Amino acid sequence: MLATGDKIKTSSGDKITIKEFIAEGGQGEVYKVDYNGREKALKWYKKSFLNNNSDPKAFYANIKHNVENGQPSKEFLWPLEITEWQDDTFGYIMDLRPSGYYDITEYMLCHIRFKSYRAIIDACLKIVSAFRILHSHGYSYQDLNDGNFFIDPIKGDVLICDNDNVAPDKVETGILGKPRYLAPEIVLGKVKPNMLTDRFSMAILLYILFCLNHPLEGKKYLADALTPALQEKLYGSEPLFIMDPNDKSNGPDSVAHKNSIMVWKCLPDYMKEIFINAFSQNSFKNPHNRPTELDWLKVLTRFRSEIIDCLCGNEVFTQNGNNCKCDCCGKMIKIPFKLELKSYAIPAVQNSRIYKCQLGTCDAKDALNPIAGVVSKKDSNILGIRNKTDRKWNAINSKGVPKKVDAGETIPLKDGITFTVDDMTIKIIENK
Amino acid sequence: MPTLDKLEETPRKELHVFYILDTSGSMIGTPIAELNHAMEECTEALKEVAKNNGDAKLKIAVMEFNSNCKWVTDHGPEPVEDFEWEYLEAGGLTSMGAALTELDSQLSRNKFLSSMTGAFMPVLIFMTDGIATDDYDRPLTEIRKNKWFKHGTKIGFAISDEADEKMIASVVGNSEAVIKTNNLALFKKLIRFVSVRASMLASSSRTTDKAADGGGIVSDAKKELDLPDDVTSSLPDSAYNKEPEATSKDDDWNDDEW
Ligand SMILES: [Zn+2]
Repeated sequence: MLATGDKIKTSSGDKITIKEFIAEGGQGEVYKVDYNGREKALKWYKKSFLNNNSDPKAFYANIKHNVENGQPSKEFLWPLEITEWQDDTFGYIMDLRPSGYYDITEYMLCHIRFKSYRAIIDACLKIVSAFRILHSHGYSYQDLNDGNFFIDPIKGDVLICDNDNVAPDKVETGILGKPRYLAPEIVLGKVKPNMLTDRFSMAILLYILFCLNHPLEGKKYLADALTPALQEKLYGSEPLFIMDPNDKSNGPDSVAHKNSIMVWKCLPDYMKEIFINAFSQNSFKNPHNRPTELDWLKVLTRFRSEIIDCLCGNEVFTQNGNNCKCDCCGKMIKIPFKLELKSYAIPAVQNSRIYKCQLGTCDAKDALNPIAGVVSKKDSNILGIRNKTDRKWNAINSKGVPKKVDAGETIPLKDGITFTVDDMTIKIIENK
Repeated sequence: MPTLDKLEETPRKELHVFYILDTSGSMIGTPIAELNHAMEECTEALKEVAKNNGDAKLKIAVMEFNSNCKWVTDHGPEPVEDFEWEYLEAGGLTSMGAALTELDSQLSRNKFLSSMTGAFMPVLIFMTDGIATDDYDRPLTEIRKNKWFKHGTKIGFAISDEADEKMIASVVGNSEAVIKTNNLALFKKLIRFVSVRASMLASSSRTTDKAADGGGIVSDAKKELDLPDDVTSSLPDSAYNKEPEATSKDDDWNDDEW
């Protein structure tokens, strides 16, 4: 343990002064420190943790390497500087967690709740997008679990901490990950953490964020004694999705798993489908068949586009942009216009957006850029759709006349107008 | 959509931390005072572990043994967050055998370990400062058949020079999981360390295929707290009566014996 006032040197010779203890985990402690006149966080390893690592020197070198390469995206609370070795251990500096962010565990325990499903989807989108970027840099994270993600319950903003195991894909850092979040092939001792095992752990977290249940912990998990052998079966040799459509033997218990029962029946089919795929026998056994980050982005952005607010406050999932009934107050919700994309339509209501990844394949860093957004005309409730890209759109107006839509320009919502972005033609349709 | 406030906390398995503590006459005076203080701090530390734990719901059960044995948590294991340490008093003999028999009877899914979500393998921490005054061989043979006991994470403390190291090593089944010290300040630090570490096993990222056992935790404690090697017992395997290896049959969770 370090004490207030203790001084530590970074590898480049800068001074760190301990200000206060923040928290303790299995691997080490986190302190608030002064680093070059700024408040930062210091993660300081427990000696016993480093001692149990097969190659502490390589572990140190990997973090140093990450410091030098810089953060892949703003979601990562990335190591900014590493300390010297001191008394058989060391630490690294990162930004402090800002207030208003809570780890996934706190959501699981309902100490904190998301404000809306849109916030949940936004959090999922940011997690998936961050991992797409991380993986596109050739890194794997290797230890995804409920304690490593901090989320804002209102905006769905995400910060990812504990980036000390991030390493070039298939390079071992000595970590296997946290029980309950491991891919089956790790549980069975066949592989070490890699991009495809990251993908599996990520799917577990996404299911938890929506349903507040663990996707592999159905009835079988409720056995009286969780022996090592049972753990190996549940998470390794015989995993079975709680919502498996064919095999109900690990299905939800009507009392313990109420959350899954309630949420699952309301999820759109394409969300059910991707979870079923992510936790299918095929995906357990063939890591290459797991849904990719882009697969997740496509369904999550669609899901986000399809949610609208009822006047009663309920969030309603619409289908194909059609008028629908609120499942809470029972009133009909009229959706005047919808936007028809290639394979589905979304409601065109205030704040609806179309993301880059909804148009097709795209670079990891661009996936969540909105390319179009529904806005209202100043001081009125007349809606239009704004070009949020930096390029001109080719459009055809309702009379069949071709037009150009400049970046930032807004076109009215009128039946029959089409506009083309990145080879996809989007059509505005009035709901009759 | 179901409104978000209808969702309830994610089900978690229970993790029971058992303390089996010697409060015999030789503990009178400073030792019992130190024990009470140590357990007070331990309880506080466990509350921290319990507070934000998505993997396990921590419960605590405490038994004291002297001329008899008695559960301090007499209504069964209590959620750590509600538990407050009650000061124990010392006096009487060291009925280790009776303590093991009573523990055996409660380590069952129909007794202390009953719960809707089921339980992790328990953590069992034993402490003595003396020599058993009753027959503990037969109770030990019996409790070793108990699967919760067999699979539990067991750690022992021998906290005086008179403490029967062999006995405590036999009880925890591994001399490397026994800490011997007559330094009560050190005992206080150590019991806190091993309690926290053992109760975090289920919720920590791993570096190896298997979770640490009692011996591994004690060895971590030695490294972490810079302790001399002789703080653990150096008994050869033959000196104490060792627990039989677990068999694959032990892992059948449908077995009524649980
Ligand atoms: Zn409504």
